[in-house]
Amino acid sequence: MGSSSKKYKEKECRKRRHRSPSYSEEHEPPKEKRHRHKKHHRDRKREKPKHDYESDGSDVVEIIPDDEPSGSGQNSESLSIDETNKLRAKLGLKPLEVHTSEKSDKKRDDGKKKDDWGEFYHKPAENWADKAEREKLRAKLATAKEKRQMELKMNRVKTLGDSDSDDNVENWVDKNRKIDLAKKEAEKRAKMLEELDEQFGVSEFVENEKREKRRQQYTEKNLKGLRVEHDIDSFAEERDVVLTLKDKAVLDEDDEDVLVNVNMIDDEKYRKNLENRKKRIVYNAYDDQEYDKYGNPIDKSLLSQYDETIDGEKRESFKIGHDNIAERRQAAVQSIKEKLAKKTLESIETKDLKLASEYYNDEELAKFKKPKKKVRKIRAKGKLTADELEQQINNKGIEEVGSRRPKIKPDFEDLNIDDVPDIEIPTDVKLEDDKDDILEKALHKARKIKQKENLVAQILKETPVKTEPEEGLDNGNIVLNATAEFCRTLGDIPTYGKSGNREESEDLLDYEKELKNEMEVDQSDEEEKTGWNSVDPNEPHEVAQIAPQEVQILDEEPDVSTGLGAALKLAMSKGYLDKEQMKRPSNSRLAHLQAKHYSIEDKTYGDEGERGGNRRERYTGPIMEFKEKDTFKPNVKLEYIDDDGHVLNSKEAFRYLSHKFHGKGPGKNKIEKRLKKSIQEQLMKKMSSTDTPLGTLNMLQAKQKETQSPFIVLSGNKQSQSTVISKTRR
Amino acid sequence: MIEITCNDRLGKKVRVKCNPDDTVGDLKKLIAAQTGTRWDKIVLKKWYTTFKDHIQLQDYEIHDGMNIELYYQ
Repeated sequence: MGSSSKKYKEKECRKRRHRSPSYSEEHEPPKEKRHRHKKHHRDRKREKPKHDYESDGSDVVEIIPDDEPSGSGQNSESLSIDETNKLRAKLGLKPLEVHTSEKSDKKRDDGKKKDDWGEFYHKPAENWADKAEREKLRAKLATAKEKRQMELKMNRVKTLGDSDSDDNVENWVDKNRKIDLAKKEAEKRAKMLEELDEQFGVSEFVENEKREKRRQQYTEKNLKGLRVEHDIDSFAEERDVVLTLKDKAVLDEDDEDVLVNVNMIDDEKYRKNLENRKKRIVYNAYDDQEYDKYGNPIDKSLLSQYDETIDGEKRESFKIGHDNIAERRQAAVQSIKEKLAKKTLESIETKDLKLASEYYNDEELAKFKKPKKKVRKIRAKGKLTADELEQQINNKGIEEVGSRRPKIKPDFEDLNIDDVPDIEIPTDVKLEDDKDDILEKALHKARKIKQKENLVAQILKETPVKTEPEEGLDNGNIVLNATAEFCRTLGDIPTYGKSGNREESEDLLDYEKELKNEMEVDQSDEEEKTGWNSVDPNEPHEVAQIAPQEVQILDEEPDVSTGLGAALKLAMSKGYLDKEQMKRPSNSRLAHLQAKHYSIEDKTYGDEGERGGNRRERYTGPIMEFKEKDTFKPNVKLEYIDDDGHVLNSKEAFRYLSHKFHGKGPGKNKIEKRLKKSIQEQLMKKMSSTDTPLGTLNMLQAKQKETQSPFIVLSGNKQSQSTVISKTRR
Repeated sequence: MIEITCNDRLGKKVRVKCNPDDTVGDLKKLIAAQTGTRWDKIVLKKWYTTFKDHIQLQDYEIHDGMNIELYYQ
């Protein structure tokens, strides 16, 4: 404190010295100073007092408290330690710890640094060099300690060189003898004790106890029936395995104890992990059979990979005592047997080497030979007659008759019925070998015809009238029958089947054509007798067949002769009769039944006078009860008429209204289409029922009248026509 | 022992010697003894923290040579 005050004084002095005379009171000098200053003003001449001030000022200054942090010139009192202690004693406090403070002072000097504000001590930073040195020292000490300990240990053990006590034989013998003696003595003592025990009956007691203990011991017998949750093969023979009771949940209800070995469980887990790590692909695209490690096929259930997660793991287990060795052995044998059964034995011997020949020998050839087809007799003969054919077919039966579908057959037959007399099966037909199918078809046809022929013959025999068609047959002349001709024309409709709805018949036609081509050579002389003819322009007598064929343009006309209904229908379709869709007596038609003197006024409540009279009633409403008019049945006929005056049906009416409503008419195309349709409809109604719209029939008739012939030639040039005409005239 | 300066900026400034493990109440009593005011009328502050009587100086981290504001209530 003293030092600090001295410092302060010096500072003050310096300040004084530097101060200019104009230095004002801003600095807040102490009271005494101020006072002195005035004095100074008072007697300027006196220079001494300044010095005085300096000298006795020092006393004053000493009284003035040394530190003035706030710069205010206030007193601060401070008691000495003793005084403080006294005071503290009075207040009941412990005395000041002067010593500790000194210590702390010392500490402050010892490298501990205060921070900038002088309030806090900082922990000095660690000296890394010191630390390293300390570490080194510690390590050194540790090694030294270890060395010492090692040495101590080594000292305890006798080295070979050091041992001197056993070197001596006598010593060694003595030692051994001593040991022997000790042993003998111990034995003797044990005997003596035993004798003593026997005397007192202790030994028996002990023996009994031992027996009892043995009885109570937990032995193999107790283990019988316990289940071990491991594969029996996993236990190596002649080795002890410690089994423990498996952990069970406390709340588990089955009481069975299960023995396991921890190591084996670990092994199993490991194996399973390995298996999992292999990442077997479960999906078996081709459903291949899988085999176990013994090569036996595994039966797999559906989605067997999830069996374990659903049903829980299957664990191999066996029971102690229940020896099922025999069973297992049998199973093993069985598996081996199965395996062997599946194996194909292969010999090591190889075949003898042979010189390869370029040709097959007989055996090999036999292998390659095709199964021979049944050789028909026809072929052998080369020629065949109808009788033979028939016989053959009858023998063969129906199933071999042909590939043609039965559906078509009747058609086929019908077509040929009338041709029956024309056809005679040629007896001298030569058939190619490779046309077996075609031949068969022909045979079938022939057979059919023959049968028909027989049938017809029978019928003819039965009937008394004899037309003798067979005679004509025999002669080979053509007999034209009216009905036959008609039927032929029917059958020969050229458009028949052209529309695509009769494929089968189309097929048939194709087939027939082919057949014809095949047989044309042989049958050329009989060609006109068949139902299916190729048109030969060179032959004039064919013309008649083609002419009267008509293409159907109109719908089928209802037959008027069947009844009135049909006639009406015809009339309706022709437009002679207007179809009235909703035939109801209209109001206009029933007008004569309506009241003559009827006006709307009648509907009102009455005349004005009346109305005025019961004006109140008007507001109360009608007094009379409202009665439904039972007899009132109005005739309502809704009819829509378009701008042209056509009556519209409901659909058209809707369209018309809709167009009106939306203010947007139909498009140009639509309008045209509708117009066309209506025109066509009208034309249809006007059309004559007996002629085509172009009047062809009329023209035809006119022409026929002109030419005076029942036919007309459509094709050909003028010349030919003239010739025909001339012919007819002749 | 530490020495603390208490100043009320009204003309009283006291230096008090005390132990760091003295409570603020004890300090107040010492101050009271030196200044002549009743100790329970003294309020000691540092900035805006008012020191409570039952807490030791070292817990307020009041060290040697610190200035404490002295107020009266």
